[in-house]
This record gives sequence, structure tokens and C-alpha cells, in this order.
Amino acid sequence: MRFCPYAHRTRLVLRAKGIRHEVININLRNKPEWYYTKHPFGQIPVLENSKCQLIYESVIACEYLDDAYPGRKLYPYDPYERARQKMLLELFYKVPHLTKECLVALRCGRECADLKLALRQEFCNLEEILGYQNTIFFGGDCISMIDYLFWPWFERLDVYGIADCLNHTPALRLWTAAMKQDPTVCALLIDKNIFLGFLNLYFQNNPDAFDYGLPC
Amino acid sequence: MSGGSARSLAKGSAPPGPVPEGLIRVYSMRFCPFAQRTRLVLKAKGIRHQIININLKNKPEWFFKKNPFGLVPVLENSQGQLIYESAITCEYLDEAYPGKKLLPDDPYEKAYQKMVFELFSKIPSLVASFLRRQNEEDCSGLKEELRKEFSKLEEVLTNKKTTFFGGNSVSMIDYLIWPWFERLEVLELNDCADHTLKLKLWMAAMREDPAVSALLTEPKVFRGFLSLYLQNSPDACDYGL
Repeated sequence: MRFCPYAHRTRLVLRAKGIRHEVININLRNKPEWYYTKHPFGQIPVLENSKCQLIYESVIACEYLDDAYPGRKLYPYDPYERARQKMLLELFYKVPHLTKECLVALRCGRECADLKLALRQEFCNLEEILGYQNTIFFGGDCISMIDYLFWPWFERLDVYGIADCLNHTPALRLWTAAMKQDPTVCALLIDKNIFLGFLNLYFQNNPDAFDYGLPC
Repeated sequence: MSGGSARSLAKGSAPPGPVPEGLIRVYSMRFCPFAQRTRLVLKAKGIRHQIININLKNKPEWFFKKNPFGLVPVLENSQGQLIYESAITCEYLDEAYPGKKLLPDDPYEKAYQKMVFELFSKIPSLVASFLRRQNEEDCSGLKEELRKEFSKLEEVLTNKKTTFFGGNSVSMIDYLIWPWFERLEVLELNDCADHTLKLKLWMAAMREDPAVSALLTEPKVFRGFLSLYLQNSPDACDYGL
């Protein structure tokens, strides 16, 4: 689905590695019955190859692509550095839920000061990592898997109306600026107006939300 | 290899020195299922290691420098590198050390093991909730949920038509989930597996595995630990020594 952050991870990896692929978008509010044969709960992203092998869970799909396809490796070769990236992913685990909760609260006209505070705390933890490492990206001085796994939620902060959560984390702001320079991130950036159009329809429970912005 | 039966280190203890060359150290606790994953992999791969047990009811202050979350297991090597989160430690050991590979080389088979691991993921917290249950209603509700989770795993074995979760020999996924199945008997949860015959066969096959059987804990020692642990006793972690 064009606006799903989890699927966005997989699309970033496909692009970064130059993997020839086909995208089938699923209407998440009106799922085709056959889709449950691809994923038991009808979630995305799911990869399917020509051997009919199915891989799901966004992080598992991303690692599978890195392992299965040649070219640029997004995870480091060194076992310790690989482990470090996976430990960093654990530090991130509250961010998706918190950003979604802020979005829903704001869209429903509710207060979300507590949620924003919690999100800022998570961002402080990530800021500390960048400070301690003294590198631009989370994996070192070049972009790597962990940066792509984090990115989709940071791209959405502005359109969700919570970009001010980065106010006290300068290294993280530098990181988002550096990410926006990455050709892969750039190629997949979603136009803000189209995203807002999707969000408006989504929160009105309009089943056409997912196709917002596509030519008729 | 030393330290498996060593008394745990608690608050006020001196931090251990650097890890000698040629060894890897695991910070552990004799009865922790998460740390058991790491110890199973160390054993299965024949990796020379040193075990330092931590008193989880009275943690040494220095331990938070090893893992800011203060949890076991943690690996420390002679370069001073620290790795935590049990699944991450297991994968690190498989990648960093030679010998039998526990994770498949094939990218899809490796991804498959990770998807099965996700299927298993509700079980540790269900078992933990069961330990902390207040009344009989909680008990039957939790057992029903556990049966449901076991059915999912049964389906995997049925579809794969193999003895183990990764094929016809033991591999990483089997070691990652084993510690909770070892504890079913002592927790009187064995009947939750009554309708999952392939899972029962898998449990029996696992008990024959050399690494699993080398690390088995006697049920009565486990019961002794559990009783003290549920009372928050600082002596729990060293029960039986």
C-alpha cells in the first residue's frame, strides 16, 4: 500500500539494491479474499518470488532481500556490526506505535502532549546513539540497512503534524537532512499534498483513500 | 568452559576483568530461559566460553554498563564488544564462529525460521503471565491461549512434514523455542500440548539432542528456584548450589 511505512521499508531496500520487482497494492480496508493465502492476517508487506515462496514481516523481508540478491550489501559483513544494527532496531520499537497514536489523536481532535513527550524521549535515546558514535548515519558514515528501517516514520513526522518532536535532537535532524539527500530515499519520497489527501480520506473511512493521487 | 555452576554476582560485587583471548563470556542466570538460548547455541557449536551468573533480584551496579536494560543474556568478547537480546546473541554466535551452522545458508529457509520465531513470540509472555496468575479463572484463560499458540506451531510441523522446525535435524529455531517447552512439565502445563501430537514428538526428540540434554535442569531444582523467585528472594538465583 502506497502509504504504509512498513511496506515502505521493503520498497526502499528493493530500490537501494536495484532489484527488479513488481508492486501489487492491496486495499487494506477492503482486502481481496485471495490475499489471506499470501498472509494469514492479510498484512503487508509480503514478498512473493517465482518459486511461490512467501516472506513477511517487514524486517524479515528486508533481510531476505539483502541475503538473496547480489550487489550492494545493506547490512554490514562483520558479525558484531550486524548485531549492533539489530540491537539499534530494538531501541526503535516504540516509535511506530507512538507516531501512529499521535496522528490518530490529532486527527480526532484529541490532546496528545503525553504521547509527544514519550516520542521525544525515544528520539533522545536515538540522539544519544548518534552523539556517542559521532557518525552521520546509524551504521557509520554511509547509509545502511538500519537507516532505511528507521526512515519511513521520520518521513511522516511532518505530514502527521509532529515534526516539532525533533526540536531538541539536532543530530537526528542532521540525519533526516542527510537521508533526504540519499537517492533511494529521494526516489520514494511521497508528495506532501498527496499524503495529506490520503490521510483525509483515510480518516473519513473512505475505501478509495489508498488510491488517492492516482490518475483515474 | 567454566562458571555454569558459579554463584551469582550481586550488588556490591567487583566487576569482572576483561575477557581472556580465545574465550567469549556470557552473563547469564541458571534458570533464565532467554539466557538458556545463548547457552544452547554455545554448547551446540562447541564454542569455548565463560559463564558469569548475575543475581537478577539484586543486580550489581556494574552490570548496567554491560547492558543498559540490565537483562541477561549478554555476550562479551575479548575485544570488549557487548551483544544483548537473546536472539541477537544467538545469531551473532552462529555468524562469528565456525563449525556447524545453526541458521540455514539459504535466504528463504533463514527467513522461514524467523517467521516461525514470530509465530512463537506470544508464548514467553503467556508463560510469564501464568506464573504470576492470581486465580483459577486466569489459569484456564491462559491455558486456552497457550493451546491456541501451540496449534499454530503444530500447523508448521504438519505443513513441513519434518521432525524439527527447520527440517529433519535440529537447528536454530528449535533451540530458540526449546527453553519454554522444557519448563511445561514443572509448570504443570504439559496438558496444553495434548492435542498437538507433532509438537509432543518434537519435544521428545529435542530431549535426545546432546546440547539440550547437557543443559537440562532437574525439575525439583527448578521448582525450588521458582518458589523463591516468586517471593522475590535474593537467594533464588543460586538455589541448588
